[in-house]
Amino acid sequence: MLSQEELERYSRQILINGFGEEGQARLKKAKVFIAGAGGLGSITATYLAAAGVRVIRVVDHDTVELSNLNRQILHRDEDIGKNKVDSAAKRLKDINPEVKIEAIAEKITEANISKLVADSDLIVDAMDNLPTRYLLNKTAIEKKIPFFHGAVNGFEGRAMTIIPGQTACLRCVYRGAVVEGSFPVVGVTPGVIGCIQATEVIKYIVGTGQLLGNRLLVYDGLNMKFTQFKVKRDPNCQHCGALKDKS
Amino acid sequence: MSVRIKLHRSLAKIADGRAVLEVNGDTVGQCLEQLAARFPNLKKKLFEKNGALSRILEIYVNGESIYPDELATAVKDGDELDTVMRISGG
Repeated sequence: MLSQEELERYSRQILINGFGEEGQARLKKAKVFIAGAGGLGSITATYLAAAGVRVIRVVDHDTVELSNLNRQILHRDEDIGKNKVDSAAKRLKDINPEVKIEAIAEKITEANISKLVADSDLIVDAMDNLPTRYLLNKTAIEKKIPFFHGAVNGFEGRAMTIIPGQTACLRCVYRGAVVEGSFPVVGVTPGVIGCIQATEVIKYIVGTGQLLGNRLLVYDGLNMKFTQFKVKRDPNCQHCGALKDKS
Repeated sequence: MSVRIKLHRSLAKIADGRAVLEVNGDTVGQCLEQLAARFPNLKKKLFEKNGALSRILEIYVNGESIYPDELATAVKDGDELDTVMRISGG
Protein backbone atom coordinates (compact mmCIF):
# COMPACT_ATOMS: atom_id res chain seq x y z
CA MET A 1 0.00 0.00 0.00
CA LEU A 2 1.43 3.34 -1.03
CA SER A 3 0.95 6.51 1.01
CA GLN A 4 -0.34 9.71 -0.54
CA GLU A 5 3.16 11.14 -0.42
CA GLU A 6 4.58 8.08 -2.17
CA LEU A 7 1.92 8.26 -4.85
CA GLU A 8 3.00 11.82 -5.51
CA ARG A 9 6.77 11.27 -5.25
CA TYR A 10 6.69 8.39 -7.70
CA SER A 11 3.78 9.61 -9.81
CA ARG A 12 5.80 9.96 -13.04
CA GLN A 13 7.07 6.39 -12.98
CA ILE A 14 3.74 5.01 -11.81
CA LEU A 15 2.33 6.50 -15.03
CA ILE A 16 4.53 4.18 -17.12
CA ASN A 17 2.61 1.41 -18.80
CA GLY A 18 3.55 -1.86 -17.08
CA PHE A 19 4.81 -0.08 -13.96
CA GLY A 20 1.83 1.34 -12.07
CA GLU A 21 1.18 1.33 -8.34
CA GLU A 22 1.79 -2.40 -8.28
CA GLY A 23 5.32 -1.95 -9.60
CA GLN A 24 5.95 0.82 -7.10
CA ALA A 25 4.70 -1.40 -4.29
CA ARG A 26 7.21 -4.04 -5.38
CA LEU A 27 10.02 -1.51 -5.23
CA LYS A 28 8.85 -0.55 -1.76
CA LYS A 29 9.40 -4.14 -0.63
CA ALA A 30 12.74 -4.69 -2.39
CA LYS A 31 16.09 -5.14 -0.69
CA VAL A 32 19.06 -4.50 -2.94
CA PHE A 33 22.70 -5.35 -2.29
CA ILE A 34 25.20 -3.06 -4.00
CA ALA A 35 28.81 -4.25 -3.97
CA GLY A 36 30.87 -1.09 -4.16
CA ALA A 37 30.29 2.62 -3.56
CA GLY A 38 32.55 3.84 -6.38
CA GLY A 39 31.71 4.87 -9.93
CA LEU A 40 29.08 2.26 -10.73
CA GLY A 41 27.85 2.08 -7.13
CA SER A 42 27.27 5.84 -6.96
CA ILE A 43 25.04 5.76 -10.02
CA THR A 44 23.10 2.58 -9.33
CA ALA A 45 22.49 3.53 -5.69
CA THR A 46 21.40 7.05 -6.65
CA TYR A 47 18.78 5.91 -9.15
CA LEU A 48 17.55 2.98 -7.09
CA ALA A 49 17.12 5.28 -4.08
CA ALA A 50 15.29 7.83 -6.20
CA ALA A 51 13.06 5.09 -7.61
CA GLY A 52 11.95 4.05 -4.11
CA VAL A 53 13.71 0.74 -3.41
CA ARG A 54 12.97 -0.04 0.26
CA VAL A 55 16.43 -1.10 1.43
CA ILE A 56 19.80 -0.46 -0.17
CA ARG A 57 22.68 -2.29 1.45
CA VAL A 58 25.92 -0.81 0.17
CA VAL A 59 29.23 -2.45 0.99
CA ASP A 60 32.67 -0.91 0.40
CA HIS A 61 35.79 -0.90 2.57
CA ASP A 62 37.50 2.02 0.82
CA THR A 63 37.83 5.61 1.92
CA VAL A 64 37.23 8.56 -0.38
CA GLU A 65 40.23 9.89 -2.31
CA LEU A 66 40.54 13.03 -4.41
CA SER A 67 41.06 10.92 -7.54
CA ASN A 68 37.63 9.31 -7.01
CA LEU A 69 35.71 12.53 -7.45
CA ASN A 70 35.68 12.66 -11.27
CA ARG A 71 33.15 9.83 -11.28
CA GLN A 72 32.02 8.75 -7.82
CA ILE A 73 29.28 11.30 -7.58
CA LEU A 74 28.02 10.37 -4.12
CA HIS A 75 31.21 11.76 -2.57
CA ARG A 76 32.48 15.32 -2.09
CA ASP A 77 35.77 17.03 -1.24
CA GLU A 78 34.68 17.20 2.40
CA ASP A 79 34.41 13.37 2.43
CA ILE A 80 38.06 12.73 1.54
CA GLY A 81 39.53 10.28 4.03
CA LYS A 82 36.12 9.10 5.25
CA ASN A 83 34.47 5.77 4.54
CA LYS A 84 32.80 5.78 1.13
CA VAL A 85 29.72 4.03 2.49
CA ASP A 86 29.17 6.84 5.00
CA SER A 87 29.17 9.62 2.43
CA ALA A 88 27.10 7.41 0.14
CA ALA A 89 24.52 6.85 2.87
CA LYS A 90 24.34 10.57 3.63
CA ARG A 91 23.75 11.58 -0.01
CA LEU A 92 21.29 8.78 -0.66
CA LYS A 93 19.22 9.84 2.34
CA ASP A 94 19.24 13.37 0.93
CA ILE A 95 17.91 12.02 -2.36
CA ASN A 96 15.18 9.95 -0.73
CA PRO A 97 14.70 9.98 3.04
CA GLU A 98 12.20 7.13 2.78
CA VAL A 99 14.84 4.63 1.67
CA LYS A 100 16.67 2.63 4.33
CA ILE A 101 20.41 2.68 3.68
CA GLU A 102 22.53 -0.03 5.25
CA ALA A 103 26.14 1.13 4.96
CA ILE A 104 28.74 -1.54 5.63
CA ALA A 105 32.45 -0.64 5.56
CA GLU A 106 33.84 -4.12 5.04
CA LYS A 107 35.91 -5.80 2.39
CA ILE A 108 33.93 -8.46 0.54
CA THR A 109 35.64 -11.82 0.96
CA GLU A 110 34.78 -15.46 0.45
CA ALA A 111 34.39 -15.75 4.22
CA ASN A 112 31.84 -12.96 4.70
CA ILE A 113 30.02 -12.62 1.40
CA SER A 114 27.11 -14.90 2.16
CA LYS A 115 26.47 -13.11 5.45
CA LEU A 116 26.81 -9.68 3.81
CA VAL A 117 24.34 -10.46 1.04
CA ALA A 118 22.08 -12.15 3.60
CA ASP A 119 18.45 -11.99 2.50
CA SER A 120 18.89 -9.37 -0.23
CA ASP A 121 16.67 -9.87 -3.28
CA LEU A 122 19.48 -9.29 -5.76
CA ILE A 123 23.12 -8.26 -6.15
CA VAL A 124 24.42 -5.27 -8.11
CA ASP A 125 28.01 -5.57 -9.34
CA ALA A 126 29.71 -2.24 -8.76
CA MET A 127 33.14 -3.69 -8.09
CA ASP A 128 36.49 -2.75 -9.61
CA ASN A 129 38.04 -6.21 -9.92
CA LEU A 130 37.16 -9.57 -11.41
CA PRO A 131 37.96 -11.87 -8.45
CA THR A 132 35.32 -10.17 -6.29
CA ARG A 133 32.91 -10.22 -9.21
CA TYR A 134 33.35 -13.98 -9.41
CA LEU A 135 32.59 -14.22 -5.69
CA LEU A 136 29.44 -12.18 -6.18
CA ASN A 137 28.45 -14.27 -9.20
CA LYS A 138 28.94 -17.51 -7.26
CA THR A 139 26.98 -16.20 -4.29
CA ALA A 140 24.12 -15.10 -6.52
CA ILE A 141 24.02 -18.57 -8.08
CA GLU A 142 24.07 -20.26 -4.66
CA LYS A 143 21.31 -18.03 -3.34
CA LYS A 144 19.43 -18.19 -6.65
CA ILE A 145 19.09 -14.42 -6.80
CA PRO A 146 19.80 -12.20 -9.85
CA PHE A 147 23.18 -10.60 -10.40
CA PHE A 148 23.49 -7.38 -12.37
CA HIS A 149 26.96 -7.16 -13.89
CA GLY A 150 28.62 -3.96 -15.02
CA ALA A 151 32.23 -2.93 -15.76
CA VAL A 152 33.97 0.14 -17.17
CA ASN A 153 37.30 1.26 -18.56
CA GLY A 154 38.04 4.56 -20.26
CA PHE A 155 35.10 5.33 -22.54
CA GLU A 156 34.08 1.66 -22.67
CA GLY A 157 31.65 -0.31 -20.59
CA ARG A 158 29.56 -3.42 -20.48
CA ALA A 159 26.54 -4.84 -18.74
CA MET A 160 24.80 -8.18 -18.44
CA THR A 161 21.99 -9.51 -16.29
CA ILE A 162 22.30 -12.96 -14.77
CA ILE A 163 19.27 -14.94 -13.67
CA PRO A 164 20.54 -18.17 -12.08
CA GLY A 165 19.33 -21.27 -13.88
CA GLN A 166 17.95 -19.23 -16.76
CA THR A 167 20.79 -17.26 -18.29
CA ALA A 168 24.54 -17.40 -18.72
CA CYS A 169 26.45 -16.34 -15.63
CA LEU A 170 29.73 -14.45 -15.51
CA ARG A 171 31.72 -17.69 -15.37
CA CYS A 172 29.92 -19.00 -18.46
CA VAL A 173 31.52 -16.22 -20.50
CA TYR A 174 34.65 -15.03 -18.66
CA ARG A 175 37.91 -16.82 -17.96
CA GLY A 176 40.56 -16.02 -15.37
CA ALA A 177 41.32 -12.59 -14.09
CA VAL A 178 42.74 -9.51 -15.71
CA VAL A 179 45.59 -7.41 -14.38
CA GLU A 180 44.04 -5.10 -11.81
CA GLY A 181 45.18 -1.71 -10.60
CA SER A 182 44.31 1.88 -11.33
CA PHE A 183 42.21 1.87 -14.47
CA PRO A 184 41.53 4.85 -16.72
CA VAL A 185 37.96 6.12 -16.71
CA VAL A 186 35.94 9.24 -17.35
CA GLY A 187 32.93 9.76 -15.10
CA VAL A 188 30.32 9.56 -17.82
CA THR A 189 31.18 5.92 -18.52
CA PRO A 190 30.05 4.54 -15.15
CA GLY A 191 27.21 7.03 -15.54
CA VAL A 192 26.01 5.21 -18.67
CA ILE A 193 26.66 1.68 -17.43
CA GLY A 194 25.36 2.33 -13.91
CA CYS A 195 22.13 3.66 -15.38
CA ILE A 196 21.79 0.52 -17.50
CA GLN A 197 22.32 -1.64 -14.41
CA ALA A 198 19.79 0.37 -12.41
CA THR A 199 17.32 0.12 -15.29
CA GLU A 200 17.70 -3.66 -15.29
CA VAL A 201 17.20 -3.82 -11.51
CA ILE A 202 14.06 -1.72 -11.68
CA LYS A 203 12.67 -3.80 -14.56
CA TYR A 204 13.37 -7.01 -12.66
CA ILE A 205 11.70 -5.81 -9.46
CA VAL A 206 8.72 -4.26 -11.20
CA GLY A 207 8.41 -7.24 -13.54
CA THR A 208 8.38 -5.40 -16.83
CA GLY A 209 10.37 -5.42 -20.05
CA GLN A 210 13.00 -7.83 -21.31
CA LEU A 211 16.11 -8.28 -19.22
CA LEU A 212 19.65 -8.27 -20.55
CA GLY A 213 19.96 -12.01 -20.06
CA ASN A 214 22.08 -14.13 -22.41
CA ARG A 215 23.20 -10.86 -23.96
CA LEU A 216 26.37 -8.93 -23.21
CA LEU A 217 25.88 -5.25 -23.95
CA VAL A 218 29.13 -3.52 -24.89
CA TYR A 219 29.30 0.27 -24.91
CA ASP A 220 31.87 2.20 -26.91
CA GLY A 221 31.59 5.83 -25.90
CA LEU A 222 34.25 7.08 -28.30
CA ASN A 223 32.28 5.83 -31.31
CA MET A 224 28.97 6.17 -29.44
CA LYS A 225 28.05 2.62 -30.28
CA PHE A 226 26.24 -0.11 -28.38
CA THR A 227 26.82 -3.70 -29.49
CA GLN A 228 25.02 -6.77 -28.18
CA PHE A 229 26.68 -10.16 -28.19
CA LYS A 230 24.76 -13.36 -27.64
CA VAL A 231 26.11 -15.48 -24.80
CA LYS A 232 24.89 -18.83 -23.57
CA ARG A 233 25.07 -21.04 -20.51
CA ASP A 234 28.08 -23.29 -20.30
CA PRO A 235 26.90 -26.75 -19.14
CA ASN A 236 30.34 -27.23 -17.57
CA CYS A 237 30.36 -23.85 -15.83
CA GLN A 238 32.16 -23.94 -12.47
CA HIS A 239 29.47 -21.76 -10.92
CA CYS A 240 26.13 -22.53 -12.51
CA GLY A 241 26.71 -25.75 -14.47
CA ALA A 242 24.94 -27.82 -11.83
CA LEU A 243 21.79 -25.68 -11.89
CA LYS A 244 18.95 -27.08 -13.93
CA ASP A 245 17.94 -25.01 -16.93
CA LYS A 246 14.80 -23.07 -16.07
CA SER A 247 14.68 -20.92 -19.19
CA MET B 1 37.78 -18.97 -46.05
CA SER B 2 37.67 -15.20 -46.08
CA VAL B 3 36.76 -13.82 -42.69
CA ARG B 4 36.37 -10.21 -41.55
CA ILE B 5 37.96 -9.33 -38.24
CA LYS B 6 36.89 -6.20 -36.45
CA LEU B 7 39.71 -5.04 -34.23
CA HIS B 8 39.27 -3.42 -30.86
CA ARG B 9 40.77 0.08 -30.79
CA SER B 10 43.80 -1.08 -28.81
CA LEU B 11 44.53 -3.76 -31.44
CA ALA B 12 43.80 -1.57 -34.44
CA LYS B 13 46.43 0.86 -33.19
CA ILE B 14 49.04 -1.86 -33.64
CA ALA B 15 47.62 -2.92 -37.02
CA ASP B 16 48.40 0.37 -38.78
CA GLY B 17 45.14 1.84 -37.52
CA ARG B 18 43.00 -0.60 -39.46
CA ALA B 19 39.78 -1.37 -37.62
CA VAL B 20 38.62 -4.07 -40.04
CA LEU B 21 40.79 -6.67 -41.77
CA GLU B 22 40.17 -9.64 -44.03
CA VAL B 23 41.97 -12.88 -43.19
CA ASN B 24 41.78 -16.49 -44.27
CA GLY B 25 41.44 -19.53 -42.05
CA ASP B 26 39.30 -22.51 -41.20
CA THR B 27 39.29 -21.79 -37.49
CA VAL B 28 39.36 -18.70 -35.31
CA GLY B 29 42.85 -19.73 -34.22
CA GLN B 30 44.11 -19.80 -37.80
CA CYS B 31 42.57 -16.40 -38.49
CA LEU B 32 44.27 -14.88 -35.45
CA GLU B 33 47.57 -16.51 -36.33
CA GLN B 34 47.40 -14.99 -39.78
CA LEU B 35 46.68 -11.64 -38.24
CA ALA B 36 49.71 -12.02 -35.96
CA ALA B 37 51.85 -12.98 -38.97
CA ARG B 38 50.88 -9.75 -40.72
CA PHE B 39 51.33 -7.63 -37.63
CA PRO B 40 53.91 -9.36 -35.38
CA ASN B 41 53.42 -6.86 -32.56
CA LEU B 42 49.84 -8.07 -32.26
CA LYS B 43 50.88 -11.57 -31.27
CA LYS B 44 51.34 -10.88 -27.57
CA LYS B 45 48.00 -9.08 -27.50
CA LEU B 46 46.21 -12.03 -29.08
CA PHE B 47 47.86 -14.99 -27.40
CA GLU B 48 49.29 -16.02 -24.06
CA LYS B 49 52.87 -17.27 -24.03
CA ASN B 50 51.62 -20.86 -24.15
CA GLY B 51 49.64 -20.16 -27.32
CA ALA B 52 46.24 -19.97 -25.63
CA LEU B 53 43.94 -17.06 -26.38
CA SER B 54 44.83 -13.96 -24.37
CA ARG B 55 42.96 -13.98 -21.07
CA ILE B 56 41.73 -10.46 -21.61
CA LEU B 57 40.53 -10.95 -25.18
CA GLU B 58 37.02 -12.03 -26.10
CA ILE B 59 36.10 -13.28 -29.56
CA TYR B 60 32.60 -13.29 -30.96
CA VAL B 61 31.67 -14.89 -34.27
CA ASN B 62 28.74 -13.29 -36.04
CA GLY B 63 27.77 -11.64 -32.77
CA GLU B 64 27.80 -14.83 -30.69
CA SER B 65 30.13 -15.95 -27.93
CA ILE B 66 32.28 -18.96 -28.75
CA TYR B 67 33.72 -19.28 -25.25
CA PRO B 68 35.44 -21.44 -24.05
CA ASP B 69 36.88 -23.09 -27.18
CA GLU B 70 37.49 -19.95 -29.19
CA LEU B 71 40.63 -20.94 -31.09
CA ALA B 72 39.20 -24.30 -32.24
CA THR B 73 35.92 -22.81 -33.45
CA ALA B 74 35.40 -23.36 -37.15
CA VAL B 75 34.66 -20.38 -39.36
CA LYS B 76 33.24 -20.17 -42.85
CA ASP B 77 33.46 -17.77 -45.74
CA GLY B 78 31.85 -14.45 -44.91
CA ASP B 79 31.94 -14.87 -41.13
CA GLU B 80 32.64 -11.82 -39.02
CA LEU B 81 34.79 -11.84 -35.90
CA ASP B 82 34.65 -9.21 -33.17
CA THR B 83 37.60 -8.74 -30.84
CA VAL B 84 36.64 -7.21 -27.52
CA MET B 85 38.93 -6.48 -24.59
CA ARG B 86 37.69 -7.61 -21.21
CA ILE B 87 37.45 -4.80 -18.68
CA SER B 88 37.01 -4.81 -14.95
CA GLY B 89 36.84 -1.26 -13.66
CA GLY B 90 33.94 -0.02 -11.62
